[in-house]
Amino acid sequence: MKDFELTKQSETVNELLARYGVKFGIYKNNEFREQLFPFDTIPRVIGKEEFCYLEKGLKQRVTALNCFIRDIYSEKKIIKDKVVPEEFVYLSSGYLAACDGVMPPKGIYTHIAGIDLVQGKNKEWYILEDNLRVPSGASYPMIAREICRRSSPDTFESNHIEDNRDYTKLLRTMMDYSNTGGHTVILTPGRYNAAYFEHSYFAEKTGAHLATGSELTVEDDYLYFIDYSGRKEKVGAVYRRISDEYLDPMTFYEESVIGIPNIYDVYRKGHVALINAPGNGVADDKGIYYFVPKMIRYYLGEEAILQNAPTYLPFYEEDMKYVLEHFDELVLKDVAEAGGYGVVFANKMTAQEKEDFKKLLKKEPRRFIAQEVIDFMDIDILEDGIRTPRKADLRAFVLMAEEPMVWKSGLTRFSRNPDSFIVNSSQGGGFKDTWVLSQ
Amino acid sequence: MKNLQFHYHMEILFSQPVHSHIYTLKCLPVTTDTQQIKACEYTIYPAGKVQESYDSFGNRMLYGTEKGEHTRFQVDVTGRAVTGICDMDRQKEKTDISVYKYQTPLTKPQERIRRLFMDCRRQADFSKMPLEEKVRFYMKTVQQHLTYHKGITTIYTTAEESLALGKGVCQDYAHVMLSLCREEKIPARYVVGMLMGEGESHAWVEVFDGAKWRGYDPTNNLEVGDLHIKISHGRDYSDCSINRGVFTGQAKQSQSIWAEVSEIQTEQAMGGIRQDDYDGGKGKPSGQ
Repeated sequence: MKDFELTKQSETVNELLARYGVKFGIYKNNEFREQLFPFDTIPRVIGKEEFCYLEKGLKQRVTALNCFIRDIYSEKKIIKDKVVPEEFVYLSSGYLAACDGVMPPKGIYTHIAGIDLVQGKNKEWYILEDNLRVPSGASYPMIAREICRRSSPDTFESNHIEDNRDYTKLLRTMMDYSNTGGHTVILTPGRYNAAYFEHSYFAEKTGAHLATGSELTVEDDYLYFIDYSGRKEKVGAVYRRISDEYLDPMTFYEESVIGIPNIYDVYRKGHVALINAPGNGVADDKGIYYFVPKMIRYYLGEEAILQNAPTYLPFYEEDMKYVLEHFDELVLKDVAEAGGYGVVFANKMTAQEKEDFKKLLKKEPRRFIAQEVIDFMDIDILEDGIRTPRKADLRAFVLMAEEPMVWKSGLTRFSRNPDSFIVNSSQGGGFKDTWVLSQ
Repeated sequence: MKNLQFHYHMEILFSQPVHSHIYTLKCLPVTTDTQQIKACEYTIYPAGKVQESYDSFGNRMLYGTEKGEHTRFQVDVTGRAVTGICDMDRQKEKTDISVYKYQTPLTKPQERIRRLFMDCRRQADFSKMPLEEKVRFYMKTVQQHLTYHKGITTIYTTAEESLALGKGVCQDYAHVMLSLCREEKIPARYVVGMLMGEGESHAWVEVFDGAKWRGYDPTNNLEVGDLHIKISHGRDYSDCSINRGVFTGQAKQSQSIWAEVSEIQTEQAMGGIRQDDYDGGKGKPSGQ
């Protein structure tokens, strides 16, 4: 990579991002605050060959995850063959009984997967998490790239980088493939949602309608969008940015006011595609993560190309033994939590906390997974104009149409706190552009 | 085996006119291994277009939207059923059994249910009891620990809470019994239906005995035979609510439910069976 002047433009780029409204909303103490999502101009650079390897591994993983979800809501062969214990399925918060026996259009459950990876100091990539419900974040590197190109055109002339602005094209291809006939709508809970910027950005870029629940209505087993003049347009695909529980008060959470009553019945009859498919959270459960390499073997007859971080399931006796013996070396994760919450590093606990945690672990073994702490490769960020190493991960986006498609970019998030491994934006992290080299 | 006729009636009165009323109903009994529905008709007021479907548990659903203003919403279901069919050894219904093995937020045990469960297990020879006997024992235990009392619990009351109160209605009896069975990893499901006589809708429990589902009515400490007509089943109450609806309008609503089940040829009075009292004739359609 040639040295470039982009890093000198840090302030300008961040100012422009703020002006475009690139913000992240968070709820703290019941109060909604929007905060800027700090952008670091030093990109993460992934070589062409290395990305090819990642791409192959990601396609394989998401294909297997989709097979798993389809199996769970139909024949349940993987349970009958005792590869995955049934309690990990039925007790997962993402398992929805209402999805049993319901086949989504084209059999796709994982339309958009956000797979979190880290690179260890040994250069090996590890999968940290599969985000399948409503993964967010692709808009940030897209708009950052757009602004960077304007601030420092030379940088992009002298480096051979895959254009990442085609994400919307992938999005459109995926949505059109699942569409059952009609308009495509992006369903947002509204502007007080953490990712509202992204919802409006995607709608603008893909030409889909941006709608809230009140603008959509079910009539005679079809879904319609009501436009500003009161005209009704049939809808064939909904890229919904609200979670399963809130989607339909008639089937799921009864008090939901942001959903669309009876939309689930339209979906059940195959008259609309819901993107992503309801119930797919059963596969992004931290407990199920442990089984993904086994799924790849089971459904595809292949060995996993991308490895999981070494994970132990205290549910199994021998794993419990290992976890208790090597407790101090591990990181423990509550399977029901997300967004960097419910993650504890054993070596940061006091003696009393360790004792209490071990007791809890023995009482509720299914609730936790334990993982080896991966020594991430640090990535430089600019802090007061000086290059400083920080922990960072990569969220890769895989979209499913006829074939899985991997976006040649991704969201690189870093921790601003030098001692922290947690990079989630809801925990105050920042982001970088991810360059995939084209030669 | 009995030939029964039934009439289920549900009515919501709104204090002000409402509109854009969207509803989903699970109020139609279906033929199962133990009951055959010979005839079933429904009327919905206001009369609009109604869609039909089945949910993932196999329950029959009706849903629709009433756009125009109305102050009353009424559902009537009438029909005939043969109950108490027991000439088969194995279930024919295709259902996923495992999903009923696990606790739900409404049945999840806390300290009190766990203690009650341990007390049951301490009974002499409990571990040697066949499944049916264990389930009967749970049923009896539930009946002994709850007193029938209307208006204290709500649809959100958990099994643990109603056991702590020591009071509840059929829904609470069913939830506590489900909680006990599931602690034992016995697949058990919540059932909504109607009981011989006059009253509201009723709720009980079905347990999978390894070959087929058997009904147990903990409110009455009664094994389900030919006196019950089943409407729907699920993991707990929330899977089976007879009516879910949203509407637009600033209105208070009052709901009344009334169900009547009688034998077709020889009508017999059912003494000693507890049901919710029929509420004073309000909403009973004329001509009945």
